[in-house]
Order: sequence, then structure tokens, then C-alpha cells
Amino acid sequence: MGIDLNLVGAKGAIAEEAEGKWGMVIDQDICTGCQACVAACAMENNLPFVGEEDAAYGRTMHWIRVERFWEGAYPEIKATPFQPMLCQQCGHAPCEPVCPVFATPHSEAEQINLQVYNRCVGTRYCANNCPYQVRSFNWRDYHTQPFHANDVDGQLVFPFHNQFNPDVTVRRRGVMEKCTFCIQRIHTAQDKAKSEGREVEDGEFTTACAQACPANAITFGRMDDHESLVSQLAHQKHGVKHLEELNTLPRITYLKEG
Amino acid sequence: MSENISRRDFLKLATVGAATSAVLTGCGPSSRYIKREPYMEMPEYTYNGLSTYYATTCRECAAGCGLVVRTMQGRAIKVEGNASNPVNLGKTCARGQATLHGLYNPDRVENPLKHARGTSIEIRIDESVTWDDAIQVVADALKNNDPSEIGFLMGMAPDHLFDLVSDLAASIGAPAPLRYGALSMFEARATLIKASENLFGQAALPFFDIANADLVLSFGANFLETWLSPVAYTRGFAKMRRGNPKRRGHFIQFESRISQTAAKADEWIPLLPGTEGLVALAIGRLAAEAKGGAIPKAFADVNPREVASMSDVSMEKLEHIAQLVAEAESAIAIPGGSALGLNNGLQAAQAVLALNALVDNFGKPGGVSLSPLAPNEDEYHRPASAQEMNEFVGKMKSGGVKVLFVHGVNPIFELPASLGFADALASVPQVISFATFPDETALQADYIFPDHHGLESWGYQRSATGVSQSVLSGAQPAVSPNYDTRATADVLLAAAQMAGGKFAEALPFKDEVEFIQSKLVNLIGEADGFFSAPEINTFSAYFQQHGGWWKKSSELVAASASSALDKSLQVEAAEFAGEGEYFFLPFVAPTLGEAGANKPWLQELPDPTTTVMWNTWVEMNPETAHHEGIENDDVIKIVSEAGEVEAPVYLYPAIRPDTVAMPFGQGHTAYGRYAAGRGVNPANLLGSHFNEAGDLTFAGMKVKIEKTARKQILSRLESRIGVYNEGLEEH
Amino acid sequence: MVRKFFEWVMSPMGRIAVLITALSLFSLAAYGIYQTQQPPEQPIEFTHKLHVGLGVQCLYCHPGALRGPSPGLPTQTKCWGCHQQIAKTFESEKLAVLVEYVQNNKPIEWVPVAQVPDFVHFTHRPHIAAGLNCENCHGDMTQVEIAENPQVLNMGWCLKCHRSKAAGDPEKLVKLIDCGTCHY
Repeated sequence: MGIDLNLVGAKGAIAEEAEGKWGMVIDQDICTGCQACVAACAMENNLPFVGEEDAAYGRTMHWIRVERFWEGAYPEIKATPFQPMLCQQCGHAPCEPVCPVFATPHSEAEQINLQVYNRCVGTRYCANNCPYQVRSFNWRDYHTQPFHANDVDGQLVFPFHNQFNPDVTVRRRGVMEKCTFCIQRIHTAQDKAKSEGREVEDGEFTTACAQACPANAITFGRMDDHESLVSQLAHQKHGVKHLEELNTLPRITYLKEG
Repeated sequence: MSENISRRDFLKLATVGAATSAVLTGCGPSSRYIKREPYMEMPEYTYNGLSTYYATTCRECAAGCGLVVRTMQGRAIKVEGNASNPVNLGKTCARGQATLHGLYNPDRVENPLKHARGTSIEIRIDESVTWDDAIQVVADALKNNDPSEIGFLMGMAPDHLFDLVSDLAASIGAPAPLRYGALSMFEARATLIKASENLFGQAALPFFDIANADLVLSFGANFLETWLSPVAYTRGFAKMRRGNPKRRGHFIQFESRISQTAAKADEWIPLLPGTEGLVALAIGRLAAEAKGGAIPKAFADVNPREVASMSDVSMEKLEHIAQLVAEAESAIAIPGGSALGLNNGLQAAQAVLALNALVDNFGKPGGVSLSPLAPNEDEYHRPASAQEMNEFVGKMKSGGVKVLFVHGVNPIFELPASLGFADALASVPQVISFATFPDETALQADYIFPDHHGLESWGYQRSATGVSQSVLSGAQPAVSPNYDTRATADVLLAAAQMAGGKFAEALPFKDEVEFIQSKLVNLIGEADGFFSAPEINTFSAYFQQHGGWWKKSSELVAASASSALDKSLQVEAAEFAGEGEYFFLPFVAPTLGEAGANKPWLQELPDPTTTVMWNTWVEMNPETAHHEGIENDDVIKIVSEAGEVEAPVYLYPAIRPDTVAMPFGQGHTAYGRYAAGRGVNPANLLGSHFNEAGDLTFAGMKVKIEKTARKQILSRLESRIGVYNEGLEEH
Repeated sequence: MVRKFFEWVMSPMGRIAVLITALSLFSLAAYGIYQTQQPPEQPIEFTHKLHVGLGVQCLYCHPGALRGPSPGLPTQTKCWGCHQQIAKTFESEKLAVLVEYVQNNKPIEWVPVAQVPDFVHFTHRPHIAAGLNCENCHGDMTQVEIAENPQVLNMGWCLKCHRSKAAGDPEKLVKLIDCGTCHY
């Protein structure tokens, strides 16, 4: 790619590569921590729930989580603004170069970080390298645990499987997964637009988390289109990128107070 | 073989051979034998491989948000908000998103049953009955009992079934159905409405226009969690922060713990529980002084210095807030929840509402108005208060209820155990449950005639709050019923016809849809509807397509509150039941809500402020815990005058040292595999004390704490190192 | 013990034994692979050759291919639409199966043949929109009795066409060989 490292941080010079194609803006000032995004993502992407014990071991499969920290001590204590954390689809993703089987390539077409389930062999090096800790590993076949089934005439029937989204692969154990910026929705919208002979309009579709958020804290869209809502929001003064100093070039801008 | 092939070459050949076979085997039709059954007859509007979307209403709480359900080949796969429904404008909360885990829950009641009270639901033990038998049972129950001895208990939502049962009850002379839910208890709705009535002369739910306010004072109202209409109020809050580029708004929450709502506040005031009303009066007094001019009678008798010393809020703080109130362009004060669930709750609510009168915001943008009546509503019917439920329990105990119908509510779990509902059931000869899930109350019924799940149902629901327009949200099945369930409305209609006589006259409809249309027909000529139609069939078609009918313009009623400031307002000291040293604050778990425990994805959602999943915890201030020698995950016993429960401790830095808090939502003994035997129910600690408006004084308990020797590790999403690095210490 | 065995293997007898073992394992594997490529048995012996030969268009029974991801399988009403008017339906032995399904309102459990693994998201619409005919991938159905694949539907075969179709158009090429286009 030939990025001039001396220009890292100079928004003008590498703005194009840094911004990428699809991006997101999360307004932490209005995020209320309600977890609607977490639930919506789970329903859209066939995420398994792991149960209390595995959750205690930190093996939950949340592709997006809401972080909360504290500042100060009682009674001068404040909760920091709620912080939805998901895969930042980094331009310089630390997870990409460490996969021994190239299961998490950078998509040239969509300019996000892909996770190809059938290539993954479960080394978990990518999760180890991710500074945002947003990757989850399928430690078990969570979807087909007998606890979730009913015995019908000697056969195990899983009613929850009716809810699966056919546009998203159902993962088995041994495979890594993470937020995909709802690439299935990206593809569906692009295909629909192509079939009608036009481009995808801004706001025509959005990710599951952005669609559910009651506060409209999450905005998604084309960062390379300077007219798009997400582009305009991202260039406001009080936008920050998390762990920017690691030069991961994340595609998500967080808006703080102000 | 031949010496000419080296080992390396041989290996290369072997692996190529192996690789080829591996690649080939995965791609053959017989290597993955599956079967596909196409439709026998494709529905007209369905296209292979493409989804069909249905507009309906969410039934997870009483707010009545509109949904659009994406279905694929007859299965509901995703729920989104209905973009045109004014309540939620296309958004959903976590409970709405997880409603599919109710629809496809492995523990649904699958067919009508004759049940043995007190046992679990086993198809082998229970006798399956046919729906004809079931309807006969209901018809006999209606016919063979004196109407005054028939009882109907229903959920909080003012829906078509409530209308049907109300009509039936009114016609035959039975008592009106009681609507109840744990949320109405924890929201102290009766108190809020009574305060409204006292101040404005109208018993209606106020509408708080947070979106256009620049100063919000919330006294215990958790409007970002589950209070009244959380999606609508969250949108309002977001609008307050971002809707006006020149101002961000200032939000102050008065509560004894930092709830999820308080976490978004600019200032959190941990006042002494019970002093909310006094603090409101003091602020009113000081604000009036700051503005100059005469002090209204309402605030004339309060002494701010006394209040400061009583409430743990410093005089400087009170003056600071009063100054903000005096200078704000549009200030609003909201009474709710823990401020009202006290013996002085009604007075506190009136004091807080009077603050709105002081800043003269009634009927103005950013102020308080009265919610418009929903379409087809003559007056607002509120859910029953805890006291009314208590009276009903008394009637049950004395043998005054011969047959009890229960739908959409789980009183054994949702009412405090001290009210004795479970014991009172023994005095009711026949209990008929229409529960969709095998909850605690259904297990104590003689018959379970399961209703469809909300996503399999027809209907309508009035949106009573959170909107400025008059909204009737509509429901239609997004999928065919999965099991042999039947709409309760259909069961009652068929039973009424079978019973004949006055019953058949009361409900002369052949099915639920005909009943619904009979109610919708009144809307045809109504002005200002967002669609209109010449007759009922077209109207129904639009109603289904859009997911309801609502008026386009805002119809907020500006309350006349000129008299609100004319009387001196008194707030007496709060009384707390029990002898312990800690205030006890039960709060509705923001992710579970009142009935979410059987949905595993809701269980796996971390609590926003503690990040705990899958269990109940007790929040305790770390200083207090240190003083008592209690660490994280230590199981403690909490004892109140009404009962005792045990739960693990979570050292919560943002709670008063003299208060412990516990989420409500877990502690089921039935209700499916994900809910049963998990956590504890804080309602079991609540005594039967009611305030003037009839609400339970759920925030008015004092409890004792006893250590046990046990530990129970809580599942947390956050690091186990803990807030103050406790986990890092060497042991 | 091991040394003795190793010596035996290196001797001519041993080498022949190894050869025979290797050959038999290889033929077993070949047979196994051959079996996976055989078209499966269908509940009704539907013959494409006859129907396509009579002039029925692919999109008549599989209309979904034009608009979306999945072409679909025909419903019973589609089959019955014609077959109820044909005398042979009630006379023929093979068609008695169809009659039984329709009259008892039972769904027909077809076994899909042109399958790809479920981590591949294939959608028909853009392929038809790009000008491909059904027989380009599914073969000439006027020659096919029971449904079968003319060649293996594996990734190498897909990519061959993706590369050639996008030759000369770098933007299209990037999209067509991107992992995320099919694997997500």
C-alpha cells in the first residue's frame, strides 16, 4: 500500500485510506447502555448464548458489548459514558497478519476485515492480537447443546433454530467470529440496487445494531461518500478513535460530550 | 517401490492426492444428504428465497411499540421497529429484539391441558384436552357461577382482549377485569396518576416532553430503562442532548443508587430515601426565591435548611440546583419509581409536579402535559394498584371468587409473597390459566388453555404513554401458530356462544377478527387519521399493513394547573417497615424486564451498570462491605419483616452506604429451563404496605444482613479485577 | 520387534504388501469419492429430460432464480396444475406417487443436488443478470433424467469463471475474487 509512516495522524494525507469505505459513528453521549444493539446483533447474526458458567469464564459470544467504567469514589463518583465496543474493521488490522491460514483477510471490495469461517482452524492468534478484544471464539457447539432441545419421539428438536437468519452462516465449534458490519445486509442492499440499475442510497439499509438503537446513537454508512450522514458526523470536532495511537486505523468514530 | 522417487516427492504426491480427495468429498450431493420440502401451496405474496414482512405490536411490555417482523418461509427470523409507529419510530429495545426467544422457546405450553395444581407441566401426567372440551369448561365456568364471583386477572397492556373481557363482564354483571404487572408496581403508576388527578383534575398519565427540555430533574424515574415507555423516552433524551446544536441540556437524577438512567445524568444526587418530596419542595422554594417575587403557597412552609440536614443533600447543592431551575429556559421535573413507592409517595409526586407549575411548563414544549386518550378510548383505565390486588386477594381468601381466569400476568411471581396470592388460590375452586409459558401461576391452575404467542396473534393495543399523538397499535400473526394453541379471545367468544343467553348476547362475534373489526369500525369517520378508508374491510387491510392507526397531529392536553401552587404542600416523613439498618431498593432489571427470564439471550445481556449476567446480585457499597467483612461474590442473607432471601454480593461503588439494592426479574421456580431455579425474587422481601394512592411502598423497607459462609461466583462481562483492583490483591 | 518388521517391509515381499495395501486404500477412497458424486435418490423419479424436452422453461418451476438468492422448488400446486389435466397421471405407475402426495396433502421431500456448503452464500440473481443461462452451470437438462450435477460445484470451478468474466475490469475483478463476496 505504500503508506508514508511520517504522515500517520495527518488526517489530510492518509485520510482516504484511513476512512475506508464503510464506517460507523457512535455517539457515546446519547448511548444509554440499554443493550438493544447487543440483542439485535445476536438475533441478526445467529449468535449462540453460552450459559452462566461459560459466561463466567469470559466465553460469551457478544460481537458488540457496552463498556462502562467508573471515575472517582462515592459520593463523587461518575459512570463514564457508555461505550459500545465492536470490531473496528481496522485499516491496519493487527488480527490479519497473524492468521496462519489467512482466514481473516482484508476485503478489497468492501474494505472491512473479513472472517472466513471455513478457513479458520482455531489458532485464536487473531483474538490474542486484537487490541480491542472484540473477537469471540466458539469453544463449544453452543447451538446444539442438548440442554436447549426438546425430545420429540426420540429426536432432539431445537426450536431456537427456527430463528436463524439464512443470510448468515451458523458457526460450529473451533471457529473464530466477530462483527462483520452486517456484511449480509451490505450485500443484499448492493444486489438490490444493482438489480434496479442504481447505487445504494445513504440510509437505504443499516446494520442491525444501528437499526435497533432507540437513541440513534449508532450511525452507519459510506465513509468515502462525503455527503453521507456518517461522514458528516464523523468529521465533527469531538470525534475520537479508540486506541488511535496503535495506528490500527479503526473505521469507527466515537463522539464524546460536546 | 522404485528408488528414483525421493521421499520428498512421494510426500508431495501423497498430500496432493489427499488434498484432492478432501476437496472433492466436500462438494458432492450425497456427501451432505439433506431434504427440502417446498410449500404445498405458496402464499400469494411470498417469493422463494425472499422475506415477507409483517407489521405487528410488541407484547413484551405495555408500551405498545410497533414492530415489523421479517419472516422467511413461515419462520420469524428478525424483529425490527415499525418506522411509522409514533411510539418507537422504528426502534426497539432489547426485550423487543428478544421476543423471538419467547416465540421459539423450547418451554412453551403446546396444547390445552387439564392440570394438577402444584405439579410441573408434564404431558404424560396432565391430560391433554381438546379445544372443544376447553371451550365447554370455560362456558360452564361462566354459566354455572354467580357473575359476581367470576374473576379476571390480566396483563398491563390495554389491548383488545381487555376490551372484550370488559364488555363481557359489564354485560353479565361480573366485576371488571383487573390488569396488573410488576412494572406497574415498580413504576408506582397509581401514585403518579393520582397526583395528576389531584393537581390537574384528570386521572391521566402525564407526558414528559424531555426532548425539548434543557433541564431535567428526575426523582427516581428510570425513563431510560423500563419506566412507562422506554424507547420513546430514550428518543426524547437523545433529542434533548443532540436536537439543538446550541445546548446539550442538563440532567439531574435523584436516586439512592446510580441506575442505568442515573449513569447518563450530569449530576447524581444520592439523597436519603424518603426525602425526595422534601427535596423537591426545598428546590421549589429556593428557585422561587432566586427568581424573585412572591413565594407560591405550595413552597411556603418548607425550610430548605432543615431539608438539607434531613436529606443528605447539602445546602450548596440545593441552592445550585435551584439556581439552575430559575435560569433554565425549559425545566421539567419528573416523579417516578422509587420516589413514589413510599408511604409519602403521593405527596412526593405532587411536590415534584408542583415544580413544573413553578416554572410554568404545563402544555409547553419541554414541559408536562397529559397524554392524549388512545383512539376508541373514553377515559384512561389504569392498571390495578397493589392495594386493589390485595383487596382481590382478600376476596379470593374469603371464598368470594369461584372461578378465576388468568391471562398475561403471573401474580405468584409478580406480587409480593406477603400478599398471600398463592395461598389464596387454595380458596378458589377453579383456576383457568391462558398462559403461553408454564409460569408459576399456570402451575397452580386447574386448566391451562394456552394463548398464542404475541407474534402469532391478532389484536390491537392502546399506547397510553410516551407519545403526543393518539395511537392504536395493531397486531397480526407474523407466523402461523407453532403449536396447538388458540387465541384466548376466540376461546372466550366460542364459550360465550356455547353458554348462550346473556353471554352470547354480550359477545355476538364469531371470532376474534370480527370482534376487533367491530371496535375499529368507529375509527372510520375519525378526522386526522394517518390513513382513512370508506369501509371496514379496506380499513382493516390498511390497519394490518401499517401496523395500526394513529392521528397525525399532537393531541397533548395542556393541564390546567393554575391551582397547583395555591395550596401549601406537605410531605410527611417517610416510614420504613422493618428493623434493619439498610434501606432496601428493589429495581426492575433493565435487560430482563418483568418477564424476560425465560429468554436466554436476555439472560446473557450484561446488566448495564454491573455487567452481571444470568443471576441475581445484591449491590452494596464497598465501604459498607469492607466494614462488614464482606467481599465480592459472598452470599449474604437479606432479612426483612416479610421474608428472607440469599444472594451474592456485588461491590457497587455508586450506591449509598446505607442502602442495598437488588434487581427484580429472577427467582422463578417455574417458567421454563432458563428461568427456573435461577436467582432470587426481591418481591419476597416486600411487606404489604400501601401508600395513599394504593401503590405498594416497595422502596419503603429496611432490612438486616447476615453473612453466610458461602460464595457464589457471579458471571460478569467486565474484568474480575473489579472496580478498585480488589482482584489484584495477593491472597 | 520393530526392527524385524521394518526389515520385512524393506524386503521385496514387504514392498509388494505395502503396494497392495496402498492400492486397496486408494481404491476404497476413490470408491467413496465416486459415491459422493452420485446423484441421490429422489422421492419421485422426476425426469428433467422429459419436461424440459417438452418445452417447460427453467424459470417456470424455479422462478426465484430471476429475483433472488434461491430459485426454489416447485410447489405441489404447480405440478398438479398440469398433471391433473393429463390422463397419463392417473394411469401411470410412476405418477401414482405424485397423486398420493397431492391427495394426502403431504409435502414432497426433494433431495437438493446442486448444493454448496452452508458457509458459501450463493445468489442466483446476479448470475442470471450477467447473462448466464441455467445450463452454463447446471448442464443441458434435456439430457438429464434424475437430477445430477454435470461437474463438481467447487470453488476452483466458480473462480475460473469469476476470473474470466472480470478480465479487463479491475473493479469487477476485485469484487468477484474477494473472499467476502461469497464467504460471510
